Parts: sequence; structure tokens; C-alpha cells
Amino acid sequence: MTLPKGFGSGSAGGSSSADIERMIGKRVENMTGMITISFWAALIATFGGTAAGYFYYPWAYPTASGHFAFIVLTIIETIGYIFCVKVMEEGSNKNSNGIIGASVAGAVAFVLFVSLYVGW
Amino acid sequence: MIKIYYFYISYFIFGINMLRYMAQMPALIPKEVEIQRLKKIWLIVIAMGSTAASVEVDNFVDGSLHQTSIRDSAFTPAHWWLYSHFITLPLGWGAAAIYDRKIPVLRGPNNSMNTGLKMTILGYLATMFTIGVNEMWHFWFVEEIFAVPNHWMFNMGVVVAFMGALAYVVRVYARLVELGAETPGENPYVAEMYKMALEGKLYSRAIP
Repeated sequence: MTLPKGFGSGSAGGSSSADIERMIGKRVENMTGMITISFWAALIATFGGTAAGYFYYPWAYPTASGHFAFIVLTIIETIGYIFCVKVMEEGSNKNSNGIIGASVAGAVAFVLFVSLYVGW
Repeated sequence: MIKIYYFYISYFIFGINMLRYMAQMPALIPKEVEIQRLKKIWLIVIAMGSTAASVEVDNFVDGSLHQTSIRDSAFTPAHWWLYSHFITLPLGWGAAAIYDRKIPVLRGPNNSMNTGLKMTILGYLATMFTIGVNEMWHFWFVEEIFAVPNHWMFNMGVVVAFMGALAYVVRVYARLVELGAETPGENPYVAEMYKMALEGKLYSRAIP
């Protein structure tokens, strides 16, 4: 197999496993931390957006309406998060069910707290 | 008549070339590398899919606001939400297009960008530029009627982008199945359907 410039031994020949590792870079099954941080960043941004609605424009966005949008968006983001981690780890011996479980449970607690106590 | 003939000839040559490229593609990068790269594309696609779903939610939020205040300003939360996403989507899919060059099997005709990706980026670019067009329109016409032409551009852009994204996602998924990284459904009937789809026999065998 012909490899890109800079890879392989220089003569016509196959690729070593070191070459393959170098072409891959960071493996997707090791990206769970980054995906989890992105999920929480998205969740907090979503809270900020909906809160701006009911704090600054309460005549247009009743608090209940903002919370409804926040809940629906959290569900969308959570599905994306679970999908990301599960697809990236399938086929490897990695298993981050604990991190996913804790993260989703934390998100549920956060959304419940916001919906019950913020903006009323 | 001659023009029609040329059209058919060029179409035929294009078809032959497509077959040639498709036959060459699979050997260009090691399988493991390709799987990892396809999955990195998958990450961007999931993020963009969530963003698109969020835009759909805001479609209702913004519509709800415009029923209480007809035309407010560009700087309401519903508009921040809508407009920031219409900038995020073309940029995010653009990032997918930059990374996509590392996966030979996803190349489009004549080594250009994948056709589905092209449609997605063009569709979302249309929505991005429509932000400006829309603001110019509402500078003169202070209404918020759903059917005005500046809103058509938002909706048509999204539809074009969705069609392209679907084509691209199916291509990525089918390739992951082909490489054995994704397993088709456990239901044997579904698995058989995927197998037939990969062999190009889905309709001829499944539909009597």
C-alpha cells in the first residue's frame, strides 16, 4: 500500500503499526473526556440562552416557556452525547458507562433544579 | 440532436470514470486509519445534527415570539439562537469538508468535494447570507409574515442542506458497515437488507 509522504520506510513496502498509529493521531475511543466537556459546555450555553429570554424579555418569554425549551434542548443534547460516546467506543475495550451515567444524571438534576427554582 | 448526443457521451464517460475511481478508492489508506477518520467525521456530523435539531426548536420559539410582537429587532434571544446557529452550521460543515479530504472514499466526482457535503454547505451558506437579506427586508417592511420571500431563502436553504446531509451520512454509515466497524441491526431481516443494499440488490430482491 502506498503511504503519504513522510510515512513508511522510504522504499516500496508496507506500513508498520507505528506508521498507522501516527496517521491516526488521537484515537476516537480516547475522546470521551473532550466529548463530555463539550456536552456540559453546550448545556450551560443552552441554560444561558433560555435564561436571557426570561430574565431580559419576560413579556415575550414566560419562564415556563423558557424552561420548556431548556428541557427539550437538553434531551436533544443528551441523545447526541450518548450517541457520540457509544459510537466512538464500540469495537474497542473502552467502557465509559459510568461517566455517561454520572453526566446524564447530573444533567437531569441540573435541569430539574433550574426548572423548579430559577426565574419564577 | 448533436447536443443531446454529446450529453449522453459525456454522461457515459463520467459514469465510466466514477466506476474507475470507486474501484481504486478502497486501497488508498489502511483500514484502521479509515475507520478512525470516518468516526471523527461522525463526531462532527452528530454535533451538526444536534445543532440542526436545535434550529428546528427555535423555529417554534421564534414563531411564538412573532405572534406576540410582530417585528421586534435582530437582537432578541430567539434571533440570537437562530442566527448563531445559521453561522455555526456552514462553518461546522466546512470543518467536516476540510477533514473529509483525508478520506479518499468520500471524494466527489473528479476528486472534488463530496456532493452531499457540497449541497449541505451551500444550503447552510444560503441561510447564513439570508440573515443579512432578512434584516434588510425588515428594515423597510416591519412585519413578520411567514410567507415573505426573504423567509423562503431560510427554508429552502435548510431543505437543500438536509438533503445533502442525508446523502453524506448514508455514505459514511455504509462505508463503516462495509469496513466492519458498524454492525447492521441484529434483526436478521434488517441485516439481510443491509447486505443486499451493499450488493446493490436491495430493491430487485426485496420487492418482488
